[in-house]
Amino acid sequence: MSRDQIIFVAFLFVFAVINIYLFGSDSLSADWAGFGTFLAAGITLSLYSFLYKDNPLFKFAENLYVGVAAAYTLTQVWYTVLFPDVVEPLSGLDSQSMSNLWLIVPTLLGLFMLTQLSSATFSWLSRIAFAFVVGLGAGLSIPRTIAANLLAQLEPTMQPITPTWEGLNLLIILVGVVTVLVYFFYSVEHTGPVGVASKIGIWFLMISFGASFGYTIMARLSLLIGRVGFLLEDWLVLELPLF
Amino acid sequence: MKEFLINIDRRIIFIFVALGIIIPSLAALRLPIHITEDVKAIYDTIEEVGAKNGTILISFDYGPGSLPEVQPMAIAVLRHSFRKNVKVVGMSHWVDAVGLAQEAFEITSKEFGAQYGEDYTYLGYKTGGGSLVINMGNDFHNAFQKDQQGNNTTELPVTKNINGLADFDYVLCLAAGNTPDGIWIPFGQERYKFKFGLGCTAVMAPDQYPYLQSGQMNGMMGGLAGAAEYETLIETSGKATAGMGAQSVVHLIIIAFIILGNVMYFLYGRQKGGGQ
Repeated sequence: MSRDQIIFVAFLFVFAVINIYLFGSDSLSADWAGFGTFLAAGITLSLYSFLYKDNPLFKFAENLYVGVAAAYTLTQVWYTVLFPDVVEPLSGLDSQSMSNLWLIVPTLLGLFMLTQLSSATFSWLSRIAFAFVVGLGAGLSIPRTIAANLLAQLEPTMQPITPTWEGLNLLIILVGVVTVLVYFFYSVEHTGPVGVASKIGIWFLMISFGASFGYTIMARLSLLIGRVGFLLEDWLVLELPLF
Repeated sequence: MKEFLINIDRRIIFIFVALGIIIPSLAALRLPIHITEDVKAIYDTIEEVGAKNGTILISFDYGPGSLPEVQPMAIAVLRHSFRKNVKVVGMSHWVDAVGLAQEAFEITSKEFGAQYGEDYTYLGYKTGGGSLVINMGNDFHNAFQKDQQGNNTTELPVTKNINGLADFDYVLCLAAGNTPDGIWIPFGQERYKFKFGLGCTAVMAPDQYPYLQSGQMNGMMGGLAGAAEYETLIETSGKATAGMGAQSVVHLIIIAFIILGNVMYFLYGRQKGGGQ
């Protein structure tokens, strides 16, 4: 056996021994809740085993997650969207079904989308549905996005700068906005004053990338802390603090 | 030693990170938590809504992948709301948030004896994104005719007087994706001018600050730290507070590795590059 195979078998053995002890000592209840905790612990450890090396346990857990997520999504969409909003009104279960006949139009458009998976004979129908979605999406999004993400953001950038801490913040934001815009303005050679502004813009960008990276590390560690907390408290049922 | 430090196996760093989390967790290490104005703003708004027995809308827009960060926020805000007699309406733009939202309501409603339909309701997941929000703004009962349990929203005490989004005293989005800046602000807050707050993952937080500055949102909880701040404000020690000790220790470990990497680079990496 290779070293990796020995580690793999040892991991399964240790996991089995721990669970036999946990179930045997009633730390984990012998019901669906206990089985769920055991399963969640196994899948968590299988996924983290990738940190050592790609292995069959990781592949199994990864594929299981994809399958479960797809099935969960399908059932939720069926019971909360398709059945109450489409099937029920159109199948005559609803007393107002006659006034709901217009639902046939969006339902057909939705079905047309699926025709792109079929042969060329029918796949052209999907273009009608996509044209509707693109047209509606653009009509709804463009004015709202300009209002919320551009005009509303310009307003605080153009406030009067006063000799206060708030004024200093506004000045920094103003310098940042202008210099970053200069950096992305490629029609003029970045030399002289334009070059200086461009370099200041790069510094602003670097600081923002650093802040984003710091927050990303914090986020990923939070997820790890959450899983470790689950393993220690819910699976191993440790009374914290231990020391 | 020099070669070892220049080419540290990533698995050694993983072990340090794992120990940095496990040891403080076993010791239940607690460090002081500083409250920021952005988190306090959400807390103060819930207090104001509670003073007039108002209603808030919470949009649960996250999944199991961001559970450790966002679920403590949901539980802390619900605890605060039920404690202050704030009525809560929940909904989701994310399908995988349904189970998590139901769990958060179940835990907190039991603690405070909140009654379903009277004090809170959960409307479930609905597709549509921006168009759903516009629909909710114009005619709330048309957008959500029934809640997750099949009750008519026109009959439930908690929703019967809600005609549009503007009738909510506060809208709080708990998000792990683009729902605040992609859906709630452009299609909801900008149009219907309701008071809006955000609880989000740490990855999202830097991109959301411009909306705070512009006043489009009045407060923000960012990541585990934001959740821990809220738990501190409501004087309840939850999972976020418990995780902050480990978070701080691992941050120090990562900073140490970054410094070590840069020192080794400046000492040896540059010499090697210069030689070539």
